[in-house]
Amino acid sequence: MALLEVHNIHTYYDHIHALKGISFELDRGEIVALIGANGAGKTTTLNTISGLRHPREGSIIFDGQPIHHLPAHEIVQLGIAQVPEGRKIFSRLTVMENLDMGAFTRRDRAGIQEDLERVFKLFPRLKERRNQLGGTLSGGEQQMLAIARALMARPRVLLLDEPSMGLAPILVESIFQTITEISQQGMTILLVEQNANMALSVAHRAYVLETGRIVLSGPAAEVRENPQVRAAYLGEA
Amino acid sequence: MGLRTGIRTGLIAAIVTIFLILIGVHMLMGRLLQSWFYVPAHWPGVWLMVVLLGLWAGSRAVGQMKARSWGNTLLAGASAGIIQGALVGAALYLLASITQAGVDLRAWLTQMSQESIAALTLGLAPLPAAGFIGGVLLVSAVAGAAWREWRLRVHAARLARGERTVSLRERLLEIPAVAQVSSNPLSRRVLMGVFMVLLLIAPFFLGQYWNYNLGTVGIYVILGLGLNIVVGMAGLLDLGYVAFFAVGAYTMALLTAPQPHHIQMSFWLALPIGVLLAAIAGILLGIPVLRMRGDYLAIVTLGFGEIIRILSKSDVLTGFTGGPRGVRNVGHPVLFGKDIGNEFYFFYFILIGVILAIIITRRLEHSRVGRAWRAMREDEKVAQAMGIYTLKYKLMAFAMGAAMAGFSGAIFASRNSFTGPEDFVLLVSINVLALVIVGGMGSIPGVILGAFVLKGLPEILRELEDYRVLVFGALLVVMMIVRPQGLWPASRPQLERPRPEEEALEEAPAELVEGEVGS
Ligand SMILES: Nc1ncnc2c1ncn2[C@@H]1O[C@H](COP(=O)(O)OP(=O)(O)O)[C@@H](O)[C@H]1O
Ligand SMILES: [Mg+2]
Repeated sequence: MALLEVHNIHTYYDHIHALKGISFELDRGEIVALIGANGAGKTTTLNTISGLRHPREGSIIFDGQPIHHLPAHEIVQLGIAQVPEGRKIFSRLTVMENLDMGAFTRRDRAGIQEDLERVFKLFPRLKERRNQLGGTLSGGEQQMLAIARALMARPRVLLLDEPSMGLAPILVESIFQTITEISQQGMTILLVEQNANMALSVAHRAYVLETGRIVLSGPAAEVRENPQVRAAYLGEA
Repeated sequence: MGLRTGIRTGLIAAIVTIFLILIGVHMLMGRLLQSWFYVPAHWPGVWLMVVLLGLWAGSRAVGQMKARSWGNTLLAGASAGIIQGALVGAALYLLASITQAGVDLRAWLTQMSQESIAALTLGLAPLPAAGFIGGVLLVSAVAGAAWREWRLRVHAARLARGERTVSLRERLLEIPAVAQVSSNPLSRRVLMGVFMVLLLIAPFFLGQYWNYNLGTVGIYVILGLGLNIVVGMAGLLDLGYVAFFAVGAYTMALLTAPQPHHIQMSFWLALPIGVLLAAIAGILLGIPVLRMRGDYLAIVTLGFGEIIRILSKSDVLTGFTGGPRGVRNVGHPVLFGKDIGNEFYFFYFILIGVILAIIITRRLEHSRVGRAWRAMREDEKVAQAMGIYTLKYKLMAFAMGAAMAGFSGAIFASRNSFTGPEDFVLLVSINVLALVIVGGMGSIPGVILGAFVLKGLPEILRELEDYRVLVFGALLVVMMIVRPQGLWPASRPQLERPRPEEEALEEAPAELVEGEVGS
């Protein structure tokens, strides 16, 4: 049984039918990419999983337990953490305080300390800047902080919403490097991207989303070779 | 360039000057100087104001100028002074002529007495009087311009020598004694101790009037600390905070007074009930407004505050609340058979309340709850994504803030032996919010300082009574512009500045990169 199963979910913004029956699954330890153009419904999908929105129809099963009716804070406690689109770090709090917020649901001091060291090993730049305000970090550092903050919840599934957004190419490279590293440590990752090329190069499997529907799925390498994908998302004629 | 800014500034300065004259501020200045510095007549104060306004006009004109030279400065100062002088002179000419014709201006402008105009004309006929005030303004404006130019040059020279401008706080810390006290926890504690002892013995020396006023400041400190939890810590803009003050006061009043209910419960029992009911009211208000934010929340809470007041005033409920006349003979605290309901004992009582409120606030700040509030204040959606149950923590903020307001309300009613609907006007909420903002949101010393400035100072400056609201508004506007973080902002000791020199990766700051992508 997959770790996370999404069955035929329909999510609305009042009358706007944003997700029109989406189904997919994540196996343990996988990186699954969800690619699609702007407005396809990628963020809505992540928010529906993390409980910030609720589906009107369909179900989401996490480790055998239905979670689609649960509020966001309970879902975090069950082990799903989200790195929001646009990073959304707390810009008036320090790096340390941001990381503390990530561990809000936890009470195991020793474990938190352990994870803090792990995260600092992953992102040494954050350690250097731990007493600096989040808002004074550069774009790349903010993205590192957003990922680190989510990791501090010690999740079993990490939802990443466009981590490459607004970053210079060299930084995109290094962020994806880190994503692979996190995955190798055993994390299950759902990676949402418009930068299909990068996403498909690190993912095991991929789904292509178009106006609220999944139009294509398969192993990342196959999706990458698909002529329509090449034309629409990889900028090839 | 100098001419344009001069004319524009002169116009603004003229309008301000005429306005201040029309509402009689020059007479106020005259009386202030008379009563504070034992000046024998009121004209020195009157003309001090005129000269200050001229100085201000000239200085402001130079401050706004882009191209800096002494010629420009003279031009700016003179043109500002001429415009200001001519317009104010014309206004005075009109006022003086009308008064001379026997019209009593007080029908429209309550402050425009004969005496008030005579202070400006100095007994001259309208035309020479206009010329005189115009001349004074012109000379002052030129002087103000020259002064500002000189200051700017000194400042520029300092910058050129590489000297940094320093804040007042840094300057204070340069004094060795101050630096020592502020860095050494022991001497800080000693200082705190001395301050506490002074506070403790103060009521023996201050007399009724000041004990009462200090008590009032204390009540506002508690109110401010409570609202600080809601607004400063949790980020929920509550404009109806007075409602909880009212719940506490009415609980105390209705439970202890002989009328209208004849319960006459003990003060000591009514106090916790008042706190509890206020907290419950906080939760009851909280539930419907949980999903609102920002301006919607502000408007709805404002409405709630007014509803409570109007209910307490309504004729239908007179049998229950005492109606528009309020509740008299509210009970006093009695200890060992002794009525301790006077200013003296209430001072200590309120002091204990303040200390409790400070302890509670500090504990909350460093607790899990405080952490949740901080996250919520920064970004509610992200706070939820961090696993914070925002609805619960919002209700806790409302309840905690309301409990503190309930406590102060209960004491307030008992101390006055009376409470009524007029104690709970919107202005109370605004006062409390203003003292939190002026003092420094989220900062305990800030709130205390704010309460002293906004509730204590007006008592010292009794002469300003009529202008309290005006001064208040002006103070808020000025604060927002020059010191938006408040007089004593919350301190963040372990903060470090960004270190651009050790950029490992060649990379622009976040905004730049995003801007490029967006374009
Ligand atoms: N807060 C919102 N209110 C109304 N419509 C929304 C909102 N957020 C997203 N939508 C709509 O839902 C659809 C999917 O949006 P989104 O999930 O943000 O797409 P993506 O993340 O793939 O760019 C879009 O048509 C968008 O206009
Ligand atoms: Mg999106």
